[in-house]
Amino acid sequence: MPPRRDADFMDVDSDSDVSLPEDVRGKGKGKAKAGRKKDKGKGKAKDTQPYTWEASYTRSWETVQEDEAGSLQSAVEDWLARGRRKRLLNPATPIRRTIIRHLMLLLDLSSAMLDRDMRPTRFDLTLQYAREFVAEWFDQNPLGQIGVVGMRAGVGERVGEMSGNPQEVLGYLKERHKLEPTGDPSLQNAIEMARSSMSHLPTHSSREIVIIYGSLTTCDPGNIHETLETCMKDRIRISVVALAAEMKVCREMCDKTGGHFAVAMNEGHFKDVLFELVPPPAQHASAPRIISNSAGTGTGSTPADLIMMGFPTRLPDASPPSLCVCHSDLRSDGFLCPRCLAKVCDVPTDCDICGLMIVSSPHLARSYHHLFPVKQYEAVMSVEADAALACHACARPFPTAISATVTDGLSPWARYQCPECKQDYCSDCDIFVHDVIHCCPGCGK
Amino acid sequence: MADSRGSHLSVVLDLSPSQWHLSAENPPTNPFPLSLSSFLSQLLTFLNAHIASKHENSLAVFGAFPRKSILLYASSNTPTSDDTMDANWFPPFRQVDFTVVRRITEELDSLEGASEDEAPTALVGALTKALCYVNRIMQPPAQAIAKPSDKVDLSTLPEPHILILSVSPDLATSYIPIMNAIFSAQKLKVMIDVCQIYGEDSVFLQQAAHLTGGSYILLERRDALLQYLIMCFLSPQSIRQTLSVPTQDRIDFRAACFCHKNIVDIGFICSVCLSIFCQPVPVCSTCRTKFPMKTLQRLNASRPASANVSNRPSPSPAQSRPAVTSTNGDTPRSHGLSELPSTSSINAHTRTASNGTKSS
Ligand SMILES: [Zn+2]
Ligand SMILES: [Zn+2]
Ligand SMILES: [Zn+2]
Ligand SMILES: [Zn+2]
Ligand SMILES: [Zn+2]
Ligand SMILES: [Zn+2]
Repeated sequence: MPPRRDADFMDVDSDSDVSLPEDVRGKGKGKAKAGRKKDKGKGKAKDTQPYTWEASYTRSWETVQEDEAGSLQSAVEDWLARGRRKRLLNPATPIRRTIIRHLMLLLDLSSAMLDRDMRPTRFDLTLQYAREFVAEWFDQNPLGQIGVVGMRAGVGERVGEMSGNPQEVLGYLKERHKLEPTGDPSLQNAIEMARSSMSHLPTHSSREIVIIYGSLTTCDPGNIHETLETCMKDRIRISVVALAAEMKVCREMCDKTGGHFAVAMNEGHFKDVLFELVPPPAQHASAPRIISNSAGTGTGSTPADLIMMGFPTRLPDASPPSLCVCHSDLRSDGFLCPRCLAKVCDVPTDCDICGLMIVSSPHLARSYHHLFPVKQYEAVMSVEADAALACHACARPFPTAISATVTDGLSPWARYQCPECKQDYCSDCDIFVHDVIHCCPGCGK
Repeated sequence: MADSRGSHLSVVLDLSPSQWHLSAENPPTNPFPLSLSSFLSQLLTFLNAHIASKHENSLAVFGAFPRKSILLYASSNTPTSDDTMDANWFPPFRQVDFTVVRRITEELDSLEGASEDEAPTALVGALTKALCYVNRIMQPPAQAIAKPSDKVDLSTLPEPHILILSVSPDLATSYIPIMNAIFSAQKLKVMIDVCQIYGEDSVFLQQAAHLTGGSYILLERRDALLQYLIMCFLSPQSIRQTLSVPTQDRIDFRAACFCHKNIVDIGFICSVCLSIFCQPVPVCSTCRTKFPMKTLQRLNASRPASANVSNRPSPSPAQSRPAVTSTNGDTPRSHGLSELPSTSSINAHTRTASNGTKSS
């Protein structure tokens, strides 16, 4: 897919250097766009600097402009305006997302990872970002599971089995000495290993492979295109973050399976493109491509299903100890299966006695704000005489004087109005309501 | 160190006139009556105690009335000048007492003429406002952002906590907003304390207190309200660890179904959007996904034994949860199987608080 170059797209993109992961997901891919993205981050007036090793020393702090009074107020306002415009561009209608996700993280552990073009080394940076990625991923996909496979010395190496426990997955990535890079990587071996560990999964879950790849070669025992075919058949979505340069086969894998391909330009960009893979993929974004490639089986990347789940009761730490059904340990705290009243140690899990999937309701509820987003507030352009004197949410008094610098998309009165309840909110509350609470204080929904 | 930072308390009052009327009814139906006026006088004493315990402490009081929520008092807002000074009254106390009582009276008077069937209270709105307010005071002043050269000492920001004093039963329609509020409280690192003053246990508020590291108390001896307030809820987060604050008993992790707003313990979940239904449905009402026929058949076949609107017994022996009957005429699940041993009151739990929030 060639990078899109139409004017609108450029405009959208130029708003996105505040590194929130959602904004560029699923849009243009590849180097041309990435290059633009990066040079913007480093200073708007500079010429393109596509690669880290071509870049001279950049003084990023000089790109923040002070106004005449020596204050950063205008820079802050600019940042606010960008955030608002970006949110307005995101669709407010609920979209379908695959929320029960299964992901295999494939880490390149070949000698190419010892390269120091990213500091301290590609390997250390990858480990650090992979840990942050895992933590963030579980935060947003509480019912998901992650497994880790390493690629070194020509084989795929199982670093950790699929697990739904963030601490366990972080534990896989903690022992640096066990992951010391060596030899050549083999994409095919690693993908086959990941594929086989996902083959038993129920049909209602998504299967994804995320590859962090530093090498420019792969040493495979067979034809990797056959592996790609089977992945497409199994509806596995492959995404690659390349640290060196674009490889045709990697790009092809991503395009054909509906994944996301990106080349990391520098340390910050590496993190950005990796974290773009954190939010659940919207289904409509990938479905058409999957259908066209796999002869139209099913309506989306994962067939939907209805799953029976139970909500447990948590026993207090002070309750009399009893044996748990999962480990036969004697302990006080635990969760009671609502169907058979067996005691399990941790949720989410499947009840060992009756097989019911047990989740606590906060696990599910964490993703509901995707389904019921708050309506965008409108910037108030003119204030009537009887308008409220203070923000309806936090009671901060509104400024009485009109702001001197008029920025597009910002209210000169610093008031933003909910279209439902017609109450005015300050800009801080506007951001907080839409990014954090996901519930309008006036309407209560 | 924690010495220089004050603590901020946001109190959310549930002021449903009908529930307070029930709470004030006389024995024997109601063993420990508590009227709104006696509640307010005890509350004001508690608020004064909070202000008095440290000079830096700040306070905000939010009221949830039927259909609307308002800020009753905030210590950051400039005092209104119409109050006359009283030499025998510490001015901040007077300020709080006067403002809170006046605003509540005004609001309740304006409700007088309202229609017979009372709308549920806007607890969510009040809680959301309390969070926005905390978000506001937890931000360093605007000048500090604009001029990073002036050093701001982040450690001077107050330590926030929110206390919800609820008298209404759970409102199932507010399940999602309450959950969203809980997650934002976690992000802001605000502890939410809950005191259910009247009525049965609140499933959602229990979860709110548990997930944010606060305490949840179902008040049984309503005549001892002030003692509960001061012993359990006065201390800020940093001091809680060293105190024996009553911890929660069982926590009910149930959710509300999207279709009938029933509170269920076994639900049917759409795998695409995680919407919860109390019975197998052919199409997800939220994301319009169609479910395969054979899943429906399988789930329907396994239902009579399992899938029912729950009637999990309430942990409180005093009141039993009214059985929620599902609209499709299912027989409620056998009570004998799900009978939990009735749990003790808070007095049995004066051990060291150690209920660290489980990472979920
Ligand atoms: Zn166990
Ligand atoms: Zn069970
Ligand atoms: Zn505000
Ligand atoms: Zn609104
Ligand atoms: Zn229902
Ligand atoms: Zn759905």
